[in-house]
Amino acid sequence: MVPTAGLSFKPIHFEQAMACPAAGLWFEVHAENYMVDGGPRLAMLDALRKRFPLSIHGVGLSLAGVDQPDREHLGRLRQLTERFEPFLLSEHLAWSRYGDVSFPDLLPFPRTNEALETIVRNIDITQSALNRQILIENPSLYMKLEGHEWPESLFLGELVKRTGCGLLIDVNNVFVSANNLGFNPISYLDALPRGVIGEIHLAGHSEDPLMGRGLLIDSHDSPISGEVWKLYDWLLARCGADRPPTLIERDNDIPAFGVLMAERDKAAAMMAGQRVVVHA
Amino acid sequence: MPDLASFQRDFASALMTDGQAAPSFRSQAFAVYRNTSARGVVEALRASFPTVDMLVGEDMFTQVALDFRRDQPPAGPVLSDYGADFAGYLARQPWTCELPYLADVARLDWLWLESFLAPDEPTMPRELASTPRIALHAATRFAWLPTPAMTIWQAHRDPWEMGQLDPDWIAEGALFTRAGGCVSAELIDAGFHSLLLACTAPAPVPEVVAAVAAAFPQSHFPQLLNRGVASGALVIL
Repeated sequence: MVPTAGLSFKPIHFEQAMACPAAGLWFEVHAENYMVDGGPRLAMLDALRKRFPLSIHGVGLSLAGVDQPDREHLGRLRQLTERFEPFLLSEHLAWSRYGDVSFPDLLPFPRTNEALETIVRNIDITQSALNRQILIENPSLYMKLEGHEWPESLFLGELVKRTGCGLLIDVNNVFVSANNLGFNPISYLDALPRGVIGEIHLAGHSEDPLMGRGLLIDSHDSPISGEVWKLYDWLLARCGADRPPTLIERDNDIPAFGVLMAERDKAAAMMAGQRVVVHA
Repeated sequence: MPDLASFQRDFASALMTDGQAAPSFRSQAFAVYRNTSARGVVEALRASFPTVDMLVGEDMFTQVALDFRRDQPPAGPVLSDYGADFAGYLARQPWTCELPYLADVARLDWLWLESFLAPDEPTMPRELASTPRIALHAATRFAWLPTPAMTIWQAHRDPWEMGQLDPDWIAEGALFTRAGGCVSAELIDAGFHSLLLACTAPAPVPEVVAAVAAAFPQSHFPQLLNRGVASGALVIL
């Protein structure tokens, strides 16, 4: 069964997930939550994997960091990919570690040629250690930084060209960054290389308590907005016959399983080319 | 234009400071990164130390967690690895003299987590060696504590127990096992604790018998061993 639209796996929904008959359903987990030695958490993922295709999404490899990816971390990631055989593996265009300190966040950097070389090196090391392709996700941005030498779409395109990695396009991140930094999200999507989008994320955002709509935050705590559905519709049309597997990414304020499945089913219908009314 | 390393060094440094950063790091936009990083660490500690959180309350736990983060920030991205010294840190804070059981309760939360995430025992039955040895199950964790922290810890796992909480001020032993998938927690006495201690490295039966008898001459070894195996704490190799 070809994976179509999927959900971030939440252990509280395990029984409902296992009983769900939806064709094409798949699940994604954060790699770092499963870098443990044993116990019920891994046993649950084993059971889920026997039933559904699985995607592993890393948040801590720090590919844009000046240091090479941590060898022990790569080893643990490799163990996970060997045990669970995910159909997709992804990480972020961000850094999260400097020296001995690690930050549970995805941090920005000036897109310079030096940064490009650093990230090419880090992706090469990763794909070589794991013996498979990795997808790189575009970030949500909040600050205007000085010193960019590349626009982001072209920077991602250059990474694809030099390493053979794929892209994970998070449409909510595009919307949030475009809002915060003042660029056109359609122009951004149109500048991406074709045929290399291996996965799409859809998620919700919220407004900064002080700055309101002037500063949107990629909070993953609400339904997908009408504007993001519209951008997704545009991106699907641009992808043409390619139908990148699409994830409904919800990490906070988790609603009932049925609520998540309703969003998932909408994405699946759009992928199948059915006309779905998209309100702004 | 600073190089990538200088940019990341300055950004990382600004994430750890509270408003004393350089002007470029004083925007509301930068605050999003600062708040997300801090909150991620605080919530990871709260998830790993739920009983400590219950005892001191949400706001105080947040403050203590931020202080701990300043003292010992995470070294890696696997947050279930973070906090091994949280109990030790609490024990070193002057204000915990008013809550003398708090560091011990933190230690118990950490041992529970270690048991929960410990390796699984191999499912194939082992061939018994010609000289059988007794060992700890891979998910066994135990401790002897100077305060009645285990009684306090157990009471907070069961809301119906809380109203009657008035423990005798004595030392207590704690055991966490995971033979059946979920973690089980129990209060243990000094005799049973001495058996577990004697099995910290796999040891032949006569050695274990001798160690327990030396510590507790009145103990009934077969009964203790039965209990150890039945509870899932011990395995015979």
